[in-house]
Amino acid sequence: MLIPLLAVSVVAVGFPLVYALYLSLTDFKLIQKGTANFVGAENYIESFSNDGFWGAISTTFTYVALAVLIETVLGLLIALALQKQKWARDLTRAMLLAPMFITPIAVGLIFRFLLNDQLGIIPFLLDGVGLSYDFLGSGRALFTLVLIDVWQWTPFMVLLLLAGLESIPKQPLEAARVDGASGWYILRRITFPLLVPVLSVAILLRSLDALKVFEYVYATTRGGPGTQTETIQYFTYQTGIQFFRLGEASSMAFILLLLVLPLIVLLFRRLNRSSR
Amino acid sequence: MQIAFFNQPIRKANQVIKKATKMIALASVTALLAAGCATGTGSEVESSDLGVIPTDTTATVRILMEAVPDTDRVKDLIADFNAVYPNITIEIEALAFDQMRDKLIASFQSAEPTYDLIVADNPWMDDFAPAGFLQPLDGRIANTPDIDYEDFFGPLREIADVDGVTYGVPFYNYALGYLYNEQTLASAGLSVPTSLDELVATSKALTAGGQTGLAMQPQRGYKIFEEWANFLFAAGGSIYNSDGSGALDSPEAEAALNAYVDLYNNAAPENSLNWAFDEAFRSVSTGASAAMVSYNWNLPALNSPDAGDLAGNFKLAPMPGGKQVLGSWTWAIPTNSAAPDAAWAFISWLTSKEVDVKRVIAGGAAIRTSTLEDSRVLSEGFGADYYDAIKAILSNAAPLSEGAGGEEMIQAVGTELNEAVAGTKSVKDALLAANEAINSIQGK
Repeated sequence: MLIPLLAVSVVAVGFPLVYALYLSLTDFKLIQKGTANFVGAENYIESFSNDGFWGAISTTFTYVALAVLIETVLGLLIALALQKQKWARDLTRAMLLAPMFITPIAVGLIFRFLLNDQLGIIPFLLDGVGLSYDFLGSGRALFTLVLIDVWQWTPFMVLLLLAGLESIPKQPLEAARVDGASGWYILRRITFPLLVPVLSVAILLRSLDALKVFEYVYATTRGGPGTQTETIQYFTYQTGIQFFRLGEASSMAFILLLLVLPLIVLLFRRLNRSSR
Repeated sequence: MQIAFFNQPIRKANQVIKKATKMIALASVTALLAAGCATGTGSEVESSDLGVIPTDTTATVRILMEAVPDTDRVKDLIADFNAVYPNITIEIEALAFDQMRDKLIASFQSAEPTYDLIVADNPWMDDFAPAGFLQPLDGRIANTPDIDYEDFFGPLREIADVDGVTYGVPFYNYALGYLYNEQTLASAGLSVPTSLDELVATSKALTAGGQTGLAMQPQRGYKIFEEWANFLFAAGGSIYNSDGSGALDSPEAEAALNAYVDLYNNAAPENSLNWAFDEAFRSVSTGASAAMVSYNWNLPALNSPDAGDLAGNFKLAPMPGGKQVLGSWTWAIPTNSAAPDAAWAFISWLTSKEVDVKRVIAGGAAIRTSTLEDSRVLSEGFGADYYDAIKAILSNAAPLSEGAGGEEMIQAVGTELNEAVAGTKSVKDALLAANEAINSIQGK
C-alpha cells in the first residue's frame, strides 16, 4: 500500500530535490553543452559570501514577518467578527475569499496600475485630500508589497481561524460566561489558548507561502528601488534563469531550505505539544 | 505472544519501507542519469552553407518569436512565402519576452529540438554563439546572390557578428529616439533638443500646468540603463573603453547621471521611480508628459487614432547628441535545427529587399538602408520625416552590452543607476559600483 504513495512522492519531491542537490555541487550553466563539472562546496561558499544573497534573505524575512503578523491580527479580528455574524454569512464569506482566487501575478499588475500616480485610483483619491505618496518609492516599496500580500492573503487566515473558532467546544465558553467572565477575559484565557493549534498551522502555512514571494516583485518593482524589494526568490531566479548559473542558484535554494527547515520542525513540535 | 503479535506487522512494514527506499533510490539515480543524458545534439543537421534554396524543398520550420507587432507583420507574409516555397510549412509560436529564453535554451540542449529557426535579442547573441547553439551563416550569406548583406544597417550587422563570425541576419531594430509632442514644443516656442544641456532645459521648460517635460523610465535593471545610456552618449561618454573595460567612471558618465537625476527630480512625473515603458507611453499619449525616450517604432502607435485625442501630434527625432542605444532582434538558425535549409529559405526571402519594403510599409521596423530610401516606403508608410529620423538613428547607435554576460551586466548597472536616482547612493558611488560590475561580470 505504501509503495505507490512513496513512488509518487519520489517523482514529485524526491527527484527534483536530488537533482537540485546534484546541480548545486556542479558548475552547471544553462548555456553550456555537455556535462557539468563537479565543484564540491564551491557554490555554497560563493553563496555564503555573497552580500546580495544575504540582503535578499533579510528582505524576504522582513517581508514574511510583517505580512504574516498583519494578516494574523487582521484575520483573527475578522474571524471573530464573522463568527458573531447572524445574517448573509455565506455571501460575506464568499466575497471575503475572492482575492485568494486571483493569480498573484495579476494582483501584482493590478496594483502596479492602481498605485500609478497618473493612472491609479488610489493616488487620485489621495490627491483629492491634498496628499501625495510614492507607494513604490525608496523606503516604501517593501511595505507596499507587504500590503498587497495582506490584501490577497488575509482571507486565507480568516478562513482557517474561522474554522478554528467554530470548532472550539461551547461548554468552557458558556461556563465562563455563567461565572461572569468578561469578553476580553474569555478571549484571552479560553478562546485564544484553544485556538493556538490552528493558529500555529495557519502561521506556518502562510509563512511558507509568503517566503515564495516572486510575482508581486516581478510585476511591480523588479527588486527596486536599488535592491530594497529584492527577495530571495527573485534573486535566485535572476541567478539561475536570467544569468544562467543554475548550479549556484541551486545552492542558494538549498541554503534557504536549511534555514527554513528548523523553523518548520519547531513549529510542528509546538503543534504536537498543543494538541496533546 | 503479544510482542510477537505486534512485531510481525512492524517487521513487514520495515521490509516494505526498505524495499520502497531502494526502489526510490534506484528511480532517483535512473532519473538523474536520464536527465544528465537528456542534453545532446543527436539530431543535429550539418549546415550546408547553401545560399539559394530550391523552391521545391519540403520541410516544416518551427519558429519561436516574441509576441509583438513585428511578429504579426511576419505572419502576414507567410502566404506570400508559400507562393514561392509551397512545400515549406512555417509554424510560428509567439511568446512573451520573459518566456522566450528559457524555451530556447531547452530546445538548444535537446536531442529533439523544438525550434528550427529563432529570433535572438542582442545580448543573447554573445551567450548563444560561443556556447555553440547557433550555426555560422557566413557561407550561406556569401552564397546568396541577392542578399546584399552590406545594405543592412552597420550597427545591426555588428550585433549579428560574434568574434568575427556572422551568426544571424537582422530581423528588426529597437533603437531609441526622442518622441515628442510637436504641438506642445511649438506652443512653448521650443525646438527639438540637440544636446544634453538642451534636453534638460527643454524638459524643465515643458514642465508646467500639470504637464511634465519627460516621461522617464527609471525602473531598476534594464529600463533605466537603456534610457540613461542615451544621456551618457549625449554627454560624450561610452559604456566601454576601447580595451573592453568599463568606462562608467568617467566625468561624462557623472555629468550624464547628474543630468538624469536632475530631470527625474524636476521634469518627470511625480512618484515615477518605478516606471517602465507602459506607464511612460500612457503618460505621453494622454498629454500628461510632453516627451519620452523610447523605441523609434512607437511613433506610429502614438499617432494611431486609437491612441487618443493627441494622435497625429507626435514626432520622432534622434537623441540629443546624435547617438542612441540600439536594440536588435536577429534571425538565427540553431545548431540542432531539423530544417536549416528551409529556415534559410525563409530568412533570405523575408529579409530580401523587395519583401522588406512590404514589411516596413506594413509597419515593421527597419533593417535595410535601401528600404528607407524606397519611394513606395516614403509615400505609403508613416511619412518621409519619420524614415529620415530612423535612418539617422540607425546610422549612429550602439548596444548596451558587448561580450558574454550582457544580461547580468545590464541588471547590475541598472540597479546602481536606480540607487542613484532613489537617492540611496551618491552619483559617484553608484557609477563606481556600476563600473566595477561591468569589469567583474564581463571579465575585463
